[in-house]
Amino acid sequence: MIEAIIALLAGMSSVFLAYYLAALGHAIVEKSGILNLAIDGIFVLSIAVAYAEAVYTNNNILASLLLTAIVAALFGILLAFLVTKFPISHGAAGLSMMFLGYGLASLVGLPARNLQGSIKGLEIGYTIDINNPVWIAVYIIIILIGLGALFFINKTKIGAAIRAAGEDPAAAEALGVNVLMVRLFAGALGFALIGLGGAVFELAYVQVWSEGTGMGHGWLAFAISLSAGRHPLLLILSSSVFAGLVKYMTTIQAMYNIPTDLAKMLPFVAAILAMVIFMATPLRRRLAPPKSLGKIYFREERTV
Amino acid sequence: MATQAESSKSFFSSPSTETPIIKLEGITKRFPGVIALDNINLEIHRGKVHALLGENGAGKSTLVKILYGIYTPDGGRIYIDGRPVKIAGPMDAIRLGIVMVSQSPVIIDRLTVEENIVLGLEKLNMFAPIRRIREKINEVSKTVGVKIDPSTEVWKLSYTQKQLVEIVRGLLLGARVLLLDEAITYLPLEEKKKFYKFIRQFADEGGTVILITHKIPEAMDVADLITVLRRGRVVGTVPVKGTSIEEIRKMMFGEKSSEITYERLPLGSPSETILEINDLWVRGDFGDYAVKGANLKVRRGEVVGIAGVAGNGQKELIQAVMRLRPVEKGKIIYDNIDITNKTTHYLRLNGVGYIPDLPAKYGVSIENNILENIAIIPTFSKEIINWKHIKSLAYKLIREFEIKTPSPETPVKFLSGGNIMKVLVSRELTAATKLLVAYNPTRALDEATAIRVRKIIKSKVINENVAALIASEDLDEIFQISDTIVVMNSGKIVGVFPADKAKREEVEHLMVM
Repeated sequence: MIEAIIALLAGMSSVFLAYYLAALGHAIVEKSGILNLAIDGIFVLSIAVAYAEAVYTNNNILASLLLTAIVAALFGILLAFLVTKFPISHGAAGLSMMFLGYGLASLVGLPARNLQGSIKGLEIGYTIDINNPVWIAVYIIIILIGLGALFFINKTKIGAAIRAAGEDPAAAEALGVNVLMVRLFAGALGFALIGLGGAVFELAYVQVWSEGTGMGHGWLAFAISLSAGRHPLLLILSSSVFAGLVKYMTTIQAMYNIPTDLAKMLPFVAAILAMVIFMATPLRRRLAPPKSLGKIYFREERTV
Repeated sequence: MATQAESSKSFFSSPSTETPIIKLEGITKRFPGVIALDNINLEIHRGKVHALLGENGAGKSTLVKILYGIYTPDGGRIYIDGRPVKIAGPMDAIRLGIVMVSQSPVIIDRLTVEENIVLGLEKLNMFAPIRRIREKINEVSKTVGVKIDPSTEVWKLSYTQKQLVEIVRGLLLGARVLLLDEAITYLPLEEKKKFYKFIRQFADEGGTVILITHKIPEAMDVADLITVLRRGRVVGTVPVKGTSIEEIRKMMFGEKSSEITYERLPLGSPSETILEINDLWVRGDFGDYAVKGANLKVRRGEVVGIAGVAGNGQKELIQAVMRLRPVEKGKIIYDNIDITNKTTHYLRLNGVGYIPDLPAKYGVSIENNILENIAIIPTFSKEIINWKHIKSLAYKLIREFEIKTPSPETPVKFLSGGNIMKVLVSRELTAATKLLVAYNPTRALDEATAIRVRKIIKSKVINENVAALIASEDLDEIFQISDTIVVMNSGKIVGVFPADKAKREEVEHLMVM
């Protein structure tokens, strides 16, 4: 029994880490008041970048992780700049960036796949499973990141500034916060984490690439983040549930004899359920979303 | 007006040779469609309490927001200690020793006291843990005479405590100039007196206070000098000693000043009960109970005024009545029908008008124009809008309430706060054929307009047998307009008085008890 559980935990560790990083990054972005609808596009793009860099560098994992984080962070900075500097709808900016991400992903990924096809025996990725004790480190890392993020968000000045910008940017500005700088920072940090999540998803979990790889999983990270009220520790719980569902979908399907198409829907149905449960319980008020999430903030407008 | 201009000139040419701490030269600020400030020249001196008075849209708030770096002026210069400065943001202002405290506390509810304070503190680097300043906060709090735990989340504090937090914050940031934007206007008398004392002491120790208010007595009580603004221009500056309320009133309103009176308006003649609240429990924004078992009756032909310091459950009570907030327990009966499970739409179709707090946020849609803001109310239009009808109604309201707008097609966001309020109040008074529910209905209005609005509400109540339930933080308003005064404190109703028997001291005591 214990062996079975260990095998289960080891098997889902990579996808768990991927979701956790992306969901945490998303939470940080949204804590600063930026509604992040770009997440799925940038997640998909990150997967392609991680894949391509791994192919070009002959599977240099570190280089791949680093480049992906930087690319994603640049998109985070761009999104934060657009919606804070100008009176632009967060939804429009985010969704445009999502489609941009999808498009760029194909552009980046296809040549790399052609190259991989032409080099015999080039495999990319880093497998974390029961045979590789690194899986234990993954769990420890997740808990450490969670505690670190909790301290960062709740106990440091920059953390307070990020929350202030998300609650009420006009008031935050009056209190002495440079809302633009803080959001650029939150955007960069959050998207870097989303990028890392995408890279881990590709390198440690999928390990192959075709057009559209990872599509929808950014939205799962979105749902994970929301259903945990953007709380760094609760996120561990919700990411593990979704990681388990995604990883063992086929097993569940076989066990209960569910049609494949239906089984594939399962994580998304769970996502909706998780969000509904979150909204319908007192959690909604305890872990309320940032008050100004997604609201246009324009400094030079007359306010009453 | 010439005499006032003269007197102000003579004042400034008199002895004071020291460099003013703040000097404004030709400050101009335009918003789309309006000139908020037109060539303002003003000197503020060290160790003085300087009041800025003016009716709404006069430009008081715009002026202090420029000093605090929230707006950038389109023209003119600011000198601090004789040196020209550029204040591009609040951080610049704070560095110069200028800190603002405003009417609706500009602090963030979900953050703790210390988090709110630390945000402006440059000495602490961005990644430093916040608890390092806890000691410092406690120290400064003591000098102001407040006891607030720095790790409390701000939403748990009362309105007064929030204002105190802002003061503590200002002092901790090393303020030399405190900008008080209507900061003490709505405090009950006892608390106000404490503030007056603090302000005096701060000025005596060499600090400078700029007090923005639309209440003349407040300025007379605490200021050394009064500058009156009107339509974005300086009318004049006078020392408080040697001037009178009447004189200031004339500077502010010109001809209209004779209309201002705080006498109680004629009493109504209450008839049948139209609104009944039984053992009402309502939750606040943060999940705890804000209204704890309230009972209340409102009859047609009377104004029931709810007095209370902000944040004692009035807002939640009003929102529950309007069906904008879920009722946890208890019943609301309107016009003999239990509306506890009905919608706002139902109330709108059945003769209820509603004036919410923060009108620009909850009362009107500021991106839309006046016509659209009228047409949206189910009282005035069915599925298909009769624009001709709406337009004639709009013109009527603009005329009757003297709404200053280029046209009824102007987006509401281009109007001044006072005029936005007029759009809302005029619309809701028209909609209220049986009941008017309101929260701070005259908050953003100047004295003359506020009194006119109260008179209009009262005459509607008396002549058309309408009922009104009005919660207000302005006790003058409650006493002027109400037939029945209800005092609310900590979510409970702690006193009910017929207006002609209510004593101000007693009501104030119950408010802060």
